[in-house]
Amino acid sequence: MDWLASILAQLAAQPVIGYVPNQSPATEPTAMAALALIAAGRQKQAVPALDFLAACQGESGAVGIRQNEPQPGWPTSLALLAWRAADEASGRDAHSTPRRRAVDWILEARGTAMPASPEMGHNTQLVAWSWADKTHSWIEPTAVSVLALKRSGLGTHARVREAVTLLWDRLLPSGGCNYGNTVVLGQTLRPHVQPTGLAMLALAGEAHEPDAQARESVAERDDSDTHLRFGLVTRSLDYLRRSLVPPITATSLAWGILGLRAHGIELPRADELLAAAYDRVQAHDRSPHKLAILALATQDTSLPLFTTGT
Amino acid sequence: MTLPAQSPPRLSRRSLLVGGGICAAALVGAGLLRRWFRQRAGVFVARNQRYDSDLMRPIRDGLMATGIDPAQLKGKRVLLKPNMVEPTRAAAHMTTHPAVILAAAEVFRTWGASVTVGEGPGHVRDTEMALVESGVADALDSGKLPFADLNYDELGFVANRGGLCKLSGFHFPRAVLEADLIVSMPKMKTHHWMGVTASLKNMYGVIPGIKYGWPKNVLHHNGIPETVYDINASLPKTIAIVDGIDCMEGDGPIMGTKKTMGLLVVGTVPAAVDATICRLMDLDPAQVPYLQLAANRLGPIDETLISQRGEAWQPLMSPFQILDKPHLNRLRHHRGVLVS
Repeated sequence: MDWLASILAQLAAQPVIGYVPNQSPATEPTAMAALALIAAGRQKQAVPALDFLAACQGESGAVGIRQNEPQPGWPTSLALLAWRAADEASGRDAHSTPRRRAVDWILEARGTAMPASPEMGHNTQLVAWSWADKTHSWIEPTAVSVLALKRSGLGTHARVREAVTLLWDRLLPSGGCNYGNTVVLGQTLRPHVQPTGLAMLALAGEAHEPDAQARESVAERDDSDTHLRFGLVTRSLDYLRRSLVPPITATSLAWGILGLRAHGIELPRADELLAAAYDRVQAHDRSPHKLAILALATQDTSLPLFTTGT
Repeated sequence: MTLPAQSPPRLSRRSLLVGGGICAAALVGAGLLRRWFRQRAGVFVARNQRYDSDLMRPIRDGLMATGIDPAQLKGKRVLLKPNMVEPTRAAAHMTTHPAVILAAAEVFRTWGASVTVGEGPGHVRDTEMALVESGVADALDSGKLPFADLNYDELGFVANRGGLCKLSGFHFPRAVLEADLIVSMPKMKTHHWMGVTASLKNMYGVIPGIKYGWPKNVLHHNGIPETVYDINASLPKTIAIVDGIDCMEGDGPIMGTKKTMGLLVVGTVPAAVDATICRLMDLDPAQVPYLQLAANRLGPIDETLISQRGEAWQPLMSPFQILDKPHLNRLRHHRGVLVS
């Protein structure tokens, strides 16, 4: 794949990146660049990215969105994944201190529970991770935090178990999820590819059937169709398979592929779709962030984003 | 650039980017704002519009009729802000139609302005997907229009000039702070929490997700009406061009049904534009929470203070269905068209 070699060469030359060219560096794209380089066996070239993430870590242990933007701290889990991947690849604990501080911050950070409401379809009492301080828990920060904590050996931690229950609770009845609402004012919402891919990554290795707490949560919410909600992961994977067709865009495609792969499903023509997405990025915003995620999506299940269980 | 008489004071780009907005805002007393906005506002309505017709003409006529001087736009930076909160090809009536965006861009370009389209979708992290699903990506390509992803842009902090919510200020994207003129280009829709969403509520989309989340939950936790007001009070000069051709009624702004009105609504005072939108929907603007706050502060919403240009709204009024929910009942106290 020429395009993959081109991406890796670009990231190796400039691993500390913004969302688009000529933008000041940001932690999320830089963490993605580090992961892409490490997954490709280029650990040495990822070092500037890992150092940048460490430089962005504040006293609280949180990694902000940019070096001069210490809040919010949602990129902390991405940085933790990158440091963890680097240390696993090298067999050394070079980042043990920032990793420990990141874990501490993540375990301390909590989304805000909301009063139960008949207008909201999800269990508003469950707590996982939010995008910003003092706001509700949503799919993507929760999914990435679950991945990071599982990779850090904390899959059985009570926070992770509750977060897994929350992810399961936020899946839509017909499969897939969006940013994190299910039913609002009686209307079932639409799924989106990217959050579904991330949720599937985080739920990999979990039992496809809900555990007791999740089963109870759903039963409390909606007795009438509780039985329909089992098998939600299977339906979500089906949704991803159906949705990953042209003109699917770069980040949705990449996270969708990774979500499927985490459950042992390879998307037919994935290489073709990834190449088309690469061409589209190059023809438009030339986003190094998108390129890094596309590179990640080519990696097999040895990629440091995958987990095999709790 | 000559701004309409109702315009709020402008901050220089530099002052905004370096945080000097705090100082500038301090100069703007509440009394001064009230004096500015007690004046009348013009709102232009064009009927019988279609996406395949010449939309440049009504947009141009509307802007000029409500106070824009084309000569003053030469060399200025104009940011078009459509609504793409959660696009899907299955519901094209949810998002600002690409034809309206292209027509507006062309009008400003013919007046010598440089035009950028910018949006920070509230429900999707993959902005590229939002562009593709809404059809805006193809429009940007065909019109050779630059796009600013407001969710991930570099940020500058601006003091909260509205002062109704607890936030001391807002982190605005660079593309917003560098614009000489922002054009809110919403879809004419009902909103299941606020009743109506148009040009003021559309400005939630300039708030960067990277800082406020997806959804922009920081705003919700600080009060939707209050933050709508405060954001609009804190932005650089903003005007409105509303896509009222294929609209959304019922469970808007995402899950509602299509209602064709064939309208374009244009004005230089977004509050007045939104009040007219409400009247066209047969909803009471004085009962929309953020318009209550905006009235006579961001602009007039009273019919007697709005000069109608183009078509009169009364013959074009067509009731929009809204959800049969207690919090929306006040909007339709004068009628009884409900959905459940």
